[in-house]
Amino acid sequence: MSRIIFHIDANNAYLSWEAVYRLQHGESIDLRQIPSVVGGDPKKRSGIVLAKSNPAKKYGITTGETLFSAFKKCPNLVVVPPNYPLYIKCSNAMVEILKDYSPQIQRYSIDECFLDFSGMKHLHESPFEIAEDIRRRIKNELGFTVSIGVSSNKLLAKMGGELKKPDAVSTLWPSELSEKLWPLPVEDLFMVGRATLPKLRKMSIYTIGDLAKYDPKYLQYTLKSHGQVIWNFANGIEASSVKKSTHLVAKGIGNSTTISFDVETSKEAHLILLSLTETVAMRLRDSGLCAMLVSVSIKTSTFEHYSHQRKFYTPTDTTKQIFAYVKMLFDEIWKGEPIRHLGVRVSELCDNDFVQISIFDEEVSDKQKSLDKVIDQLRLKYDSKIITKCCFLHSGIKPLSGGISEEDYPLMSSQL
Amino acid sequence: MKIINKEIDLLCWFDKQGAATPIRFRLLNEDGQDQVIKIEKILKKDLEKLAGNRMFVYTCQSVINDETRILTLKYELDTCRWFLFKI
Repeated sequence: MSRIIFHIDANNAYLSWEAVYRLQHGESIDLRQIPSVVGGDPKKRSGIVLAKSNPAKKYGITTGETLFSAFKKCPNLVVVPPNYPLYIKCSNAMVEILKDYSPQIQRYSIDECFLDFSGMKHLHESPFEIAEDIRRRIKNELGFTVSIGVSSNKLLAKMGGELKKPDAVSTLWPSELSEKLWPLPVEDLFMVGRATLPKLRKMSIYTIGDLAKYDPKYLQYTLKSHGQVIWNFANGIEASSVKKSTHLVAKGIGNSTTISFDVETSKEAHLILLSLTETVAMRLRDSGLCAMLVSVSIKTSTFEHYSHQRKFYTPTDTTKQIFAYVKMLFDEIWKGEPIRHLGVRVSELCDNDFVQISIFDEEVSDKQKSLDKVIDQLRLKYDSKIITKCCFLHSGIKPLSGGISEEDYPLMSSQL
Repeated sequence: MKIINKEIDLLCWFDKQGAATPIRFRLLNEDGQDQVIKIEKILKKDLEKLAGNRMFVYTCQSVINDETRILTLKYELDTCRWFLFKI
């Protein structure tokens, strides 16, 4: 039986959500009508563009560029700081409306959902009309616009939603492939990115249609298994189900931070690593897990990136022990160049209720564990800044860093 | 009617189902003095879900300086705050 899948995507999500919230609170200017972006700190003018309005797009402002360069392109740009709790609220409200149509909903990211409408034919005759109804309801009730793609699998529904933006419903049935999908440039295809594009160009593949008609054997030869994947996508072949929850079991926990100045001494770097380790270890303990592996990553001021990892002898979740390894790893790889970005990540997780201990224990006493526990509880009850390590005093470095908001929400992944 | 969106002190009563009915509110007028405005009549009550933020919107009728006026009050559920939205 052929399936009916919708892909619902909020247009300029962060920006339009902020705009609607402001209108609701009496703001007279609609951010969507003026050159505006969400991102960073508008006062310090630091940070990057997370989302942009359509008028800002006309100035050539792109997502991910620095606010500094965005201001150069458009001096009267309006910048608003990100507000993740609001985005979660908007995303939840959107899902609530979708639940009226089908119980099978997959939150693909904060602003994108898949909805399985198969087998509902007896309730509603035309999927297109239903999609139109969803689009209208979200616009009227929640105040922001969405693009909806309708097709028989998730990939085509997602590509279909890209065809017409904003505030539109498009179908992309397998029978419409040659007419709607194939004329598009190949870089518009899901999973064709910066790395794949030059390789495809060399094989003189420019449109999705070129790719679809190419011999998959040759693609596999140059691109390995990814070649088969994108060939399937170009031909609209994809069969994954609409998973009710995208909460995959986390393989690792990590935090990273971009530093507003270049770090040149190992003392400063250690402090920043400690601040990251604090949040990572807190998250680790909060999930009731222990880690076997820790890695440190460094990005230099010339955007060179390298990392280093090591296994613990026994699984651990104590801040002190993780940091000891982090420090060691950092000292081993850092070549002394200015640092822009640091990251700490733990993986190979296991439950923390039964943990193998070592005879040659590395100073991890129960005392250390209960200290961590008390600190976590204090921070949770009052404020994360209620208790901090004294080495951060007068250092100008935040005692805790990394993390985007109190609540976790699904971020984009490359898996449908 | 003009949008002013000002936070206000407000007196209201809740029924058993949790529905709120505003009675009167206090507003700082142009002379810097408190002015208490009584809600004479509630003409309309709507639930607004813009940006997923739920607010009850009350369209009310009041007498301000011997003049009958229509005004809009908003009650934000997440923060429990009342706003004089439009007057």
